[in-house]
Amino acid sequence: MLDDVAIRIRQNIGIVTAVLLFSILYLLYNLAHPKGFSSAVLVQNGDEIFALAMLAMAQTVPVLASGLDLSVGAVMTMVGCFASYLLTGAAGGAALHLDIFGLHLGLGTFPGGVSGILLGIVICLAIGALAGFVNGCVVVYGRIQPIIATLATGAIYIGIALFLRPTPGGKIDEDLNWALTNSLGDFAATVHIFDDGAAQWFAPVAWIPVPFVLLVLIALLVWVPFRRSVIGRAVYAVGSAEGAAYMSGLPIERAKIAAFTLAGFFAGCGGLFLAIQTSSGNADIPQAGAYTLNSIASVVIGGTSLLGGTGSAIGSIFGAMILRVISFFFRIFDIAPLLQPLFEGLILLAAVSIGALGVLRVKNTLELFR
Amino acid sequence: MVWTLRFAGLACVGLLLSPVSALAGPKVVSGPGADPGCFKPWSAQTKFFQWDKKPGPYKIALVNGFVGNTWRIQMVKTAKAFAAQPGIKENIKEFKVVSTGTDVAAQLGAMEDFINQGFDAIVTIAVAPDGFDRIIRLADKNNVVVVPFDNVLDTDKVMMVNEDQKEMGRMSAKWLIDESGKKAGDILEVRGLPGNSVDRDRHLGFREVMEASGNSFKITEVVGNWDTGTSQKVTADALAVHGHFDGVFTQGGSDGTVQALMSAKHPFVPMSGEGENEYRKQIADHAKDGLKGMSYGQSPALVAIATKAAISALQGNVMPQLISIPIPVATYKDLKPGTNYWPDLNANFFAPNQFTPCGVNFTAPEIMSQSEKNTQ
Repeated sequence: MLDDVAIRIRQNIGIVTAVLLFSILYLLYNLAHPKGFSSAVLVQNGDEIFALAMLAMAQTVPVLASGLDLSVGAVMTMVGCFASYLLTGAAGGAALHLDIFGLHLGLGTFPGGVSGILLGIVICLAIGALAGFVNGCVVVYGRIQPIIATLATGAIYIGIALFLRPTPGGKIDEDLNWALTNSLGDFAATVHIFDDGAAQWFAPVAWIPVPFVLLVLIALLVWVPFRRSVIGRAVYAVGSAEGAAYMSGLPIERAKIAAFTLAGFFAGCGGLFLAIQTSSGNADIPQAGAYTLNSIASVVIGGTSLLGGTGSAIGSIFGAMILRVISFFFRIFDIAPLLQPLFEGLILLAAVSIGALGVLRVKNTLELFR
Repeated sequence: MVWTLRFAGLACVGLLLSPVSALAGPKVVSGPGADPGCFKPWSAQTKFFQWDKKPGPYKIALVNGFVGNTWRIQMVKTAKAFAAQPGIKENIKEFKVVSTGTDVAAQLGAMEDFINQGFDAIVTIAVAPDGFDRIIRLADKNNVVVVPFDNVLDTDKVMMVNEDQKEMGRMSAKWLIDESGKKAGDILEVRGLPGNSVDRDRHLGFREVMEASGNSFKITEVVGNWDTGTSQKVTADALAVHGHFDGVFTQGGSDGTVQALMSAKHPFVPMSGEGENEYRKQIADHAKDGLKGMSYGQSPALVAIATKAAISALQGNVMPQLISIPIPVATYKDLKPGTNYWPDLNANFFAPNQFTPCGVNFTAPEIMSQSEKNTQ
């Protein structure tokens, strides 16, 4: 039994390190914060972490199949721009039209109210998944290296985002914003369930931030079933040894397309939340780039190998949280503003190095080239 | 278990408070505001705000977004120096500076963190003109004064400090038209960081005048990100494609734009650009060859005025909702060494840094030559 645990820890050393490191850093942060361990601080951190955590999950799936997806930030931005048109929630709906090549095309009225918002959310997530599916098809049927293919499609998605929102703006339902970026209690009060959140049984969970709940739900309902499916295992197999996977008759092409589609879906979730959080759409190119880079960093910190085949999206969530928590410290402790990036880099380097310590114990260097 | 109970308790308190507590925040009052020489209202229609007076000294945070260009570094240094200046120092208990990068979620998180930590005021350069509704709501609830400056927000619910970006665009257009004496021609417009309110407003102001009836300019637009290297590259590309321009409007990285003109052996033409010292040196050197330059400046010292406005608001003074800072302009006709540009200094910095009516009296070289130790 104990041996079993030891083996499991050794197999998942990357994610275990990430969880431990995050717990220590987050504990220190809360101890030093004047309002540490309060719902308000948890909510604030949850809001800040969610979009990056989703992008980290998104990046993980193609990386597991040993391909990088440079378009995750672009997909996030594009979905956010769509959301800023579809989630207005205006009573009576919002009229949509398309101005292109000097033409003014009416697209009818998008329904408002709660049903309109729900429909908008579904459409936004579908757009994200579709963008990922296109990535997958370009990689598989175009036979182009993922890193180049997604660089190109990413530019297309940013282009669409800029077309939709040449200047930042748009409107997203205020109640939706308030409900999703707060604790469960505020959520219940805003959408009027459980006696506006005042129900007796509800009190013990009312402090939990909504973004954390969403994160757990997405991880449990999307990632875990995917990982256990044949396609999911094929993704791992492709990343670890594509030739062997092919010889074993695994559906390699489907696995790759599925990996990129899932990445698009996760990135879409991130973009949707970011749009709701900011109540607007913004085709911010530097921000898209920053999120893509940070998603790769989160994947590595979370213990997933960039060579593919090992790791998990759950680890990447913790990777993203570590990345965020480091910058939390600059708000508590007095660190010279121009030295903050230096500290961030040093801590990151240390974090990644801890994960790589295992290399020192390898008896035969050839194992590293496995 | 104890933790769970404590969490539950907190959550209940939060629940009870959140729906019923009336939104606090500033009262809308009638003017005039305090210290009108420094805090000049934007227009006659500008509202006036008054917060409840709080006892000092105050905890103030500067939440910067992107860091890594000269302007932002000069801004951070000015903020630190201003907070340590006599007369201001006494009012500040703690002054914290963070830079969150071009990530709106991180900036929102940082601002919310400072609200939760019990800071009295947050001075900020917003990374986007939209998306801060939640923070404004929380700040009002906790009586925190939020002062966006430079990249301001598209809202009238917070007090903001800025120079008139649209006017900069208009001024630039007028300058090009007046100096070239023509109502038609090829114009190059080098824009700033996309998606930013400053970039948008300067562009709109510029186009408003250039495209007014009676003018028929052909404007080529490139994106220079307010960065010397990028601006030089895109200008060089535009010159390679178009061959000749009759005037240039560059939003930033202006010295790079001029450098590209010189490398391409393009004749000097009327030009309008930012307040970089290097650019002003180029104007002084080449004005006689035809570089009829104008240099307006978005001053990094806006941060000092925003901080001062925050303190004034916390002291219970009546403040304009939108504070207008005069645009410091220098042209080839009135450049004076040692006053509005420094020909002997090579370090890159933004020349306009003084606003005497506001008690911001340090010159740009003073700020930029300070060692890191003094400013941090």
